[in-house]
Order: sequence, then structure tokens, then C-alpha cells
Amino acid sequence: MSARIAILDYGMGNLRSAEKALEHVGVSARMSRDPVEVQAADGVILPGVGAMPRAMERIREYGLDELIAERREAGVPILGICLGLQLLFESTSEFGGSGGLGLLEGPVETLHAEGLKVPHIGWSPVSWERESRLTEGLPSGTPFYFVHSFAPRPAAEDVLGTAEYGSRFACAAERENVFGVQFHPEKSSSAGLRLLANFAGICAKAPAAA
Amino acid sequence: MILYPAIDIRGGQAVRLLQGDYERETTYDSDPVDAARRWAEEGAQFLHVVDLDGAKAGEPRNLEAVRRIAAAVPCPIQVGGGLRGPEAVSAVLAAGAERVVIGTAALRDPQFLDAVVGEHGESVVVSIDTRGGKVSLAGWTETSELDASSAVADLTGRGVRRFLCTAIEVDGTMEGPAIRELNGIAAATSAQVIASGGVGDLPHLEELARETAPNIEGAIVGRALYERKFTVAEAIAALT
Repeated sequence: MSARIAILDYGMGNLRSAEKALEHVGVSARMSRDPVEVQAADGVILPGVGAMPRAMERIREYGLDELIAERREAGVPILGICLGLQLLFESTSEFGGSGGLGLLEGPVETLHAEGLKVPHIGWSPVSWERESRLTEGLPSGTPFYFVHSFAPRPAAEDVLGTAEYGSRFACAAERENVFGVQFHPEKSSSAGLRLLANFAGICAKAPAAA
Repeated sequence: MILYPAIDIRGGQAVRLLQGDYERETTYDSDPVDAARRWAEEGAQFLHVVDLDGAKAGEPRNLEAVRRIAAAVPCPIQVGGGLRGPEAVSAVLAAGAERVVIGTAALRDPQFLDAVVGEHGESVVVSIDTRGGKVSLAGWTETSELDASSAVADLTGRGVRRFLCTAIEVDGTMEGPAIRELNGIAAATSAQVIASGGVGDLPHLEELARETAPNIEGAIVGRALYERKFTVAEAIAALT
């Protein structure tokens, strides 16, 4: 049976492209902030466009912080995309600072893009730092599409992928059932679709949803 | 270099014009979303969408098609045609475009340009059409005395970070890009330049990749893809 995935809707940004991309790879995806619906799903995607402090406010407002923590404990795969990845970390320096969800260790910091324009927008090759089910079939050096001014600084053992923009930065992280990518798989052509399909595959094999 | 397959929309269909002439139109797909899907499935990393009705009307006329394309493809899209006011720009971005392409309004309305560049910076592309090295205005029907290189230098000073340069003489002809003209324009700016016009076969793309200045970051291809002279994947390989 193919996985059902909940895309957490905290009222920020355009979430349709992630939903469409998942449909494209044959995964049933639904935008939701309803706890019952999210708990029925085999996997959770935390999307995001915008600023982290505002996003955290919304997430707390809807009680999604507790829901996400509970899903992590339940062993359900969680994938953060772009701002969604940054939200998984402990804190950010963006706009005077804010806490994060703290599912992954480390802060989110401004890109050290000496001499280059920020935000970093465009296609950049990503190097995988280790093997992962998330990146199966995707060679190291595959380009993905980025739009961001900030990037996380994860614990070394959680770094799954890195890219270069002025300096090397972590752009993919993984710890147990928590995954995150700084780039936009839903805008990254066939490579992005493959990564989303891999995530759906991880969800289908994970412990059944409560 | 990045390949930008072009999707020009007129009357709800995907068409190509010859040298920008609305009288010399060929229809390729009755639904532009079919064209978008086809290019995306072949591996496109970006799509270039033009609302030809909007360009003529002076305001977007195919927003619904833009919305459907943005939702249908797993790659970013840039959209132009009739963007002459901040509301039109916001509407296109809200419809799912990553970038907006501003045409002659950038030259005719400095206040509008400053507002859009100030608010959307990286998402703004200014399109310059040229004929014999001079800027062409008014939907290609009127050539000015304005030198294309000086126009680009001036706009760079005003904060424009990306240009799209189309040499009208070669556009839609598939007879080869205007390499010398493109390099002349690229030399006048530190911004990124997307080349448009004249690509008809893979050697043209190889020539673009080899012979153009480093800040020429991409190439728009239209008719040659619709006529299956090569696939998107082959074009990307030729540009790499």
C-alpha cells in the first residue's frame, strides 16, 4: 500500500506545489492541521516559505509543535522542506531570534556567502555526506533548486548533504525518523521527485500510524 | 547554462511567433499545461512563460494558465507579458511564479521599475529586445535610438540583477543565436543575462555555452523544442 502523507498547513506560503509534486509520484498527500488527520498519516511534511519567527508563532498557535513532537516519538517519518527544515532546529538568529522545534540539534544562521548575493536562489549541486534511504538513486553532485538566506548548523553526525554558496553549508539533515532539506524538492525536477518518492517509501515502511 | 524552454500563451493556447509578429503564429499545444508538463518530464530546470495576450493588452490575461502551469510542474517558472504595474507583478508571483519578466515598462516607467526591484529584487528579470544593437520598444513594433548596452548598464545601476536579451532579427528563425550582440550586452553589466532567440539545433546551444561571456547564465529555446529538433535533455547536455 502506498503511503499517505500529511503536509502541515500552518497558514504560511504556497503549499500546493509540494502537494502536486507528491501526487505526481503517486502519493496521496493532504494539507492539514487537524490532529486526527495528521495522526492517521504515515508521514508528515513540514513545508515552508517565509520567516522562521512568524512561522513558529503560527505553529504554536495551532498546537502543531506538540503534534510534531508526538509524531516524532511515535516513529513517524517527518520531512522538513526549506523553512520547514530550519524549524526542526533549536533556534534561529533571523529577525531578532526565535526558538525552533528542537527536533534536531543546532542553530539556524545566516548564510556566509562572502561576496555573493543573499538570498541564494538557483540550482546548486548537492554532495551527500553519507548514505541514506532518502537519497537512494541520486548521485552525489545532483543539482537541486534553492531559495534561502539562512541555513542550519546541525550536529556533525546529522549532516546528510552539503552545498556550496560562498562557503560550504549543510543542506540536508537526518536523525532517526527526522529528515530535512534546505532545497525545494518540489521545484527540483526529476531529482526532487525521486527524493519525495524515496521519502514516501520510507513512510510506507515505517511503523503503522496510531 | 540553464535551459529555459519557452511557453508563449495566446488565446489560451501554446504558440510561437516568428520575429515577434502576431500575424505569423504557429499553434503547438491547445493547452499550455501540456507543453509545460512535457518539458518538465524531459528534465527542464526552469520554464519561461509569456502571456502574449497580456503583452498586447498591457495587463496579465492568462493568470489562470500561469497558476495551472506552476502547480503542474516540479520546477520554477518565470512569467512575463503585460507586467506594467505593481499589482500585476504581485498577482503573477501569487499565481506561483518564481520570477517576473518586465518588458519595456522598465524603461518607460522608472518609478515602477524602482518599486518592483525594491520589493522583489532577485525575482525580477528585465527583458530587452534589440534590433541592430538598439532597444526595441512597444512590443517590437518600434525601434528606439537607445543603445542596448547603455540601457543595460543604466538598469544595472538601478539594481536590476538579471536581464533577458532577445535579438529580434533571429527570434523564431532557428538560424542561430546573435552571439556577438549578446556578448556586447553582457559586457555592459555585472548582472546575469539570459539569451533568447535563434536556437535551432544542438550546435547552436554548444556555441552559446562555449562562445558567450560567463554572466550569460541561460538560454531560452522555443520553436526548436516544439518542432522536436532535439529533446530538453539533449539541450541541457549541450549547454553543460
